[in-house]
Amino acid sequence: MEELGKIHQLLFYIAGYPIRLNIEVMIMTWIVIVVLIVFGWLCSSRRAMVPNRFQIIGELLVSKLYELTEDAMGKYLAQTYAPLICALFMFLVLCNWLGIIPHLHEPTKDLNTPLSLGLMGFVIAHYAGIKSKGFKQYAREYFQPMFFMMPLNVIGELAKVVSISFRLFGNIMGGSIIITVVSYLTYSILLPPLLNAFFGLFVGTIQAFVFTMLTVVYISVQVK
Amino acid sequence: MDMDALSAMRIAAYAGGGFAMGMGALGAAIGEGYTAAQANIAVSRNPQISGDIFKNMLVGQAVAESASIFALVVAILLLFFETPSAGYIQAASLMGAGMCMGFGALGSGMGSGFPSAETCLGIARQPMASTRLTTNMLIGSAVCQTPAILSMVVSLLLLFMQFKDIPFQPGWGAVIGAGLSTGLAAIGSGYGGGLAAGASCEGVARNPNSVGNVTTTMLVGQAVAQTSSIFGLLISFVLIFKSFPESQALSPAIALLSAGICMGFGGIGPGVGNGEVARGAVRWVARNTESAADLMRIMLVGQAVSQSTAIYAMVVSLVLIFVI
Repeated sequence: MEELGKIHQLLFYIAGYPIRLNIEVMIMTWIVIVVLIVFGWLCSSRRAMVPNRFQIIGELLVSKLYELTEDAMGKYLAQTYAPLICALFMFLVLCNWLGIIPHLHEPTKDLNTPLSLGLMGFVIAHYAGIKSKGFKQYAREYFQPMFFMMPLNVIGELAKVVSISFRLFGNIMGGSIIITVVSYLTYSILLPPLLNAFFGLFVGTIQAFVFTMLTVVYISVQVK
Repeated sequence: MDMDALSAMRIAAYAGGGFAMGMGALGAAIGEGYTAAQANIAVSRNPQISGDIFKNMLVGQAVAESASIFALVVAILLLFFETPSAGYIQAASLMGAGMCMGFGALGSGMGSGFPSAETCLGIARQPMASTRLTTNMLIGSAVCQTPAILSMVVSLLLLFMQFKDIPFQPGWGAVIGAGLSTGLAAIGSGYGGGLAAGASCEGVARNPNSVGNVTTTMLVGQAVAQTSSIFGLLISFVLIFKSFPESQALSPAIALLSAGICMGFGGIGPGVGNGEVARGAVRWVARNTESAADLMRIMLVGQAVSQSTAIYAMVVSLVLIFVI
């Protein structure tokens, strides 16, 4: 129980500056990346008119996510951003599912992962906004409805990053804490597998989808 | 009256445990009762499928109950778990943990009653769509539980963290404020998320083919409605993890306490308001699937405007923490 909220860190010094690496999170993220690459290779290596199992799953995922992106952004922008959205969703789903395997942990349980993905979405959304509207029009929107609202509009934009990343982090971390505490209370009898299925598979999938959809929506709001 | 740290901790644990379970029982019971009431209406409308409606009612009530089960877990931990280190600050944090979970279970419990109630009515109206309706209900209710899960995270952190090095004088305000911030802010978000989920179940029953658009709009609407409780979580984290200098005066402690209260109460209104926006959008997406993209954009802009009050509350809380 004392492990709660603690993270294994690797500390070393480069020219006197301390560098901290969350080594466990990095290993878990690399496991996810390797699994994704293998999955992609299996899906696309033997393409055929009569698809094999992996090709079906891959095509289903990509076409559904492409459709969702197209609905929100329109045909033209979807061509640019749909690959990013597909990759984001598959990465997040796999991250959230990783915790159901014993001794592995969700990388999304560490705030650094959702926060960096949230920041990535923020930068991409604003880049897309500036690119499509021009900088003048983009900057003018911060002074709506009145010029003195500018600081609050800026805070509102930054709050989007906070809310999108803390939502994922809170849900995944909350799930894993609940599983730890309940396993401790029931001596790991009966309940933990059900909780793993609920918080790992079900909530994990939903939260990955919510994160992806919000990224799509933030981009499309900036562009229009 | 003078008392030692250990008995102060016991007092706080008992008071907190009682508060957590007492308040935690409130919301879920209301939500479940509402579900059962609507299930009765549904059965009287379409008695042939009363079995389906009954099953669905039980599933929906079970999901709605999870918020109060979280409260039960926290209450049991407060009553029976022996924290290794004793101290007055630890006593205050146990009190904060109890209050956080008690308030936090309220909104989610009430909110997740709406989707299950609308699903019962929907099955009576459209028995063919009952699988889609139940899936949609489960997704909606599960997302409704997020604010309760966030409050559970904060209350477990308050339970298990070691606050030994933190001075008591401003520290007690910080830990109780951390509990109140997430706990109170979760009320509005849980209730608002329930409104959106309820409207989506109603919409799927009216127009079963719209289920994809409706579920997506519902998830985005609920997610934005949860933003205010996430601000509450942020303020709680700042209050828990920042270290404050010791002082003899009472004012820094009260400032930290009121930072939590400010964010907590400030989060209730935007949560409910955003839920109302999402309810309207989801309801009309079901009736007019072609304009789903436009409806979602207008929903997001409306939610952003109604959320500005939560942002004001957050700014004031941060000023109370960092400036004063």
